[in-house]
Amino acid sequence: MLQNYLKIAIRNLLHNKVFSFINIAGLSIGLACCMLIVLYTKDEISYDRFHKNVNQIYRITSTETSPDGKVDKYGITGMMPGPTFKAQLPEIENFVRLQGESYNIKKGNEILVQDALKVDSSFFSIFTFDFVEGSPKTALKDPQSVVISEEVAEKYFGKVSALGKTLSINYDDTFQPFTVAGVTKKSPQNSSIKIDLLMPFHREKNHDDQWINFYLNTIVKLKPFANPKALEAKFASIYAKEAKGQLIEAKEKWNFQSTIQYGLQPFLDVHLSTDFRAANGLKDESDPMYSYVLMGLAVFLLVIACINFVNLTVARSVKRGKEIGIRKVVGGDRKQLIFQFMGESFVLSLIAFLLAIFLVELTLPIFNTLANKALSLKYLFDFQLISSYFLLFLFTGFLAGIYPSLVLSSFSPVDTLYGRFKFSKGSFLQKSLVVFQFSLAAFMMMATLVLYTQFDFMVKQDLGYDDKNMVDVSTGRMTLSETHTFKQELLQNPSIEKVAPRQSGSWRTIAKVNGKQEISFAIDVVDEDYLPTLKIPMVQGRNFSQDFPSDTSQSVLVNETFVKEAGWKNPIGQRVNFFSSNKTYQVVGVVKDYHFNTLHESIKPQLLTCDPKRSSFAQLSVKIKPTDIPSTLKFIEKTFKKLRPTQPYIYDFKDQSNQKQYEKEAKWKQIISFSAILIIFISCIGLFGLATLSAEKRTKEIGIRKVLGASALAIVSMLTKDFLKLVLASVVFAFPLAWWAANKFLENYPYRIQISTWMFATVFVLLVLITILTISYQALKSALANPVKSLRTE
Amino acid sequence: MLELKNIFRWYNSGVNRAFVLRDVSLNIEQGEFVSIMGPSGSGKSTLLHILGMMDEPNEGEYSFLGENVLKIKEKQRAELYKKHIGFVFQAYHLIDELTVYENIETPLLYHGIGSSERKSMVADILDRFNIVGKKDLFPNQLSGGQQQLVGIARAIITKPNLILADEPTGNLNSKQGQEIMELFKTLNDEGVTIIQVTHSEKNATYGSRVIELLDGRIER
Repeated sequence: MLQNYLKIAIRNLLHNKVFSFINIAGLSIGLACCMLIVLYTKDEISYDRFHKNVNQIYRITSTETSPDGKVDKYGITGMMPGPTFKAQLPEIENFVRLQGESYNIKKGNEILVQDALKVDSSFFSIFTFDFVEGSPKTALKDPQSVVISEEVAEKYFGKVSALGKTLSINYDDTFQPFTVAGVTKKSPQNSSIKIDLLMPFHREKNHDDQWINFYLNTIVKLKPFANPKALEAKFASIYAKEAKGQLIEAKEKWNFQSTIQYGLQPFLDVHLSTDFRAANGLKDESDPMYSYVLMGLAVFLLVIACINFVNLTVARSVKRGKEIGIRKVVGGDRKQLIFQFMGESFVLSLIAFLLAIFLVELTLPIFNTLANKALSLKYLFDFQLISSYFLLFLFTGFLAGIYPSLVLSSFSPVDTLYGRFKFSKGSFLQKSLVVFQFSLAAFMMMATLVLYTQFDFMVKQDLGYDDKNMVDVSTGRMTLSETHTFKQELLQNPSIEKVAPRQSGSWRTIAKVNGKQEISFAIDVVDEDYLPTLKIPMVQGRNFSQDFPSDTSQSVLVNETFVKEAGWKNPIGQRVNFFSSNKTYQVVGVVKDYHFNTLHESIKPQLLTCDPKRSSFAQLSVKIKPTDIPSTLKFIEKTFKKLRPTQPYIYDFKDQSNQKQYEKEAKWKQIISFSAILIIFISCIGLFGLATLSAEKRTKEIGIRKVLGASALAIVSMLTKDFLKLVLASVVFAFPLAWWAANKFLENYPYRIQISTWMFATVFVLLVLITILTISYQALKSALANPVKSLRTE
Repeated sequence: MLELKNIFRWYNSGVNRAFVLRDVSLNIEQGEFVSIMGPSGSGKSTLLHILGMMDEPNEGEYSFLGENVLKIKEKQRAELYKKHIGFVFQAYHLIDELTVYENIETPLLYHGIGSSERKSMVADILDRFNIVGKKDLFPNQLSGGQQQLVGIARAIITKPNLILADEPTGNLNSKQGQEIMELFKTLNDEGVTIIQVTHSEKNATYGSRVIELLDGRIER
């Protein structure tokens, strides 16, 4: 019996090549996308599970609530909570603090920058990492030793054993020898902790005993059966007792009035947490939203492919009707027929499934670049994966097959065998399904267009300064005279127009204005060349100047937003009081607002000082001429190596690093447009199939119309009109939804495009064009056919 | 063998009832060869469908081999039908995607007959109808007469004791038609009851009895 079904299924597939192609192509694309997302999600939720007793491992989080009710959540703490809580709470088995860091390491004459983690020696008693050389028990005990990964070992020592060898690491501004006390295997790719180089914490000279300080991860391992909720309450009382003195002091000195609450976050939650993110040494922070969005897209693709199957199968049922009637007449009952049609759906799904596995292997590299992953079927291959893929196959076969099976098996043989058969039940459903498909397609096209326009807008936005031909060179901290020499040396080259030193990095602080008003702002230490080099215009007052020697100790510049925030009518001459360091500066000029941060944020108050006592310079912005850039770069490098021999040479083109800030948007732009293309493709091949069937069904009608004198154009428009109506209907559903979603999405961007009618018009015209193109082949074919032929076959 | 009592069959069209069969009563014995005749629209096919349990009357009684067809459960009725009735159509109605062999084999599959037994049964029939050489051809590769032979082969392979034939020679030329009628005659001689719907007086002469329908009533 099964053999008979299979035979029929396969012969049907071969016999109707167009439909088999439409169904298999659609389903395999849908399935392949789902498979990729299963891999992606599986990787996401597998993060950090490889540690032994991982359910006992928690991270201490800090939640700061300010008097005005603002809540800030940090996944980080200072140095104090770890050892203090461990000493007072027996439920805590052990703790480890870890902080991201980077060191300059000498390799021959080169200086390399090395990512590293500062950790307590208890690191390996909590986390499980395999060693190639050395032992986790002894590895971090000696403060003058480090643990490195096998990749880092190879980078510095080649393929030979690294154990016991020394690395010359710049620590506290001098190169010191550190012994390699252990070499770990490459960290698993689904680990939030990536070991490059582990530096023991207990080298720190000055012990930081501040509670109100947040910069490192504190991880604790609880005793089995310890109750984390109860512990959090105990944290609160310990903090209240231990930090009492500091809190009083902070209130006097900084007007610090916030409360801090320590919490416990399961270490397994870290990777996907959006409140307490994986940062400060923990890598690969993610957002479950990515999984949800990708999953949604993949499921939609699969559903759309299943819709093709349902629609085409039901639309072809007039042809299948005869077979169904015969089978019933010769003794087949309905159950057997349902079984047969489900079987056909499963055969088709199986073919699509096998093809999908092949597609997954083929497209994984592309997907990995898109999703920033290193997924492979091999690495995630396990029973769970097989069963989820198998479920996916069953789901597809069932989803595609169930409705047609029920409909087809219900046909009465008297109706189907005596040509009285008119199938109308399906047409409303068929239309709704097509509308659903095209609504999705319209929505996705709209999403793509909005993403593209917003991205373009951000990338091309005038930042308020000139980032073209600007090379940022990281120099390490320089004294004033070192800075001066470096500047002069660079300016020797006629290809270098201007050089402006900066503090580098982004810093914030608070000060008082108008006597008591506190104001929080970004601060940067620059000199008089900063504004001219970046071509930032002044609005009022003057720039820093060599002619005013007191500028370095007394003057500051502020931006327009700062003035607004301070509420100044006449900003020049106003005073800014840095109360924590007891220093007051005078505003000498106001600069026009410019985007010193990314466009993800609105412009915040900024203050520029040229006081070298606030911070030394650590970066040079070098404006170069656009001609012969390579030789200018070589010159900069040569000068750098001469003047900064102990520093690694790192430079960036400002416009490129600005672009990089929108990498995330660029990725999503690609993912969304890929999915849009696939959704449109699958919907269109489905539509093509329906158009083919509808033209077939109406062959006689078309023949009669032609005999009566209808032109080919009239026939084409008649055949196209019905489908265009559906497209119109889908736009009615999709556009309001797309409008709402796009606005919701754009709310995340303070600088954003307006959704305007041209976007809707573009999508609409495109959609209509695509539809006409899809249908026109069939419509033309039947319009141009010889009516004598089509009528004779009746 | 079967008995119809006061059968009515109508369709509702608007407020009116369009009667297809009116008060049809009829008794057919085992081994009869009955021809149902009448002009188009007289209800011949509907009567045949009711006899073949493919359609149900709105009123009346139908007993088949002592079973009250209209009262028993759907499943039992399907069993009864499967076991005793074979259908032959004017348009042959073979499954286009299956070969001659497979078409004939299909009812056996639904009867749950084992593979080796199926093989020998199909081989017997092919042999008997002289179509062994055609067994791997598809229906569209056969002439009308050959297709109808396959249709009959498919109908009798399960050894039914009643064959219902709806204008079996309607699409055939007279020579092919004659052959098919001869075949029915032979089957009837072997004890199979045959009820055929036909327009042709000539075909009716092969039968033992003629029932004439006019406007849904039995005239004779």
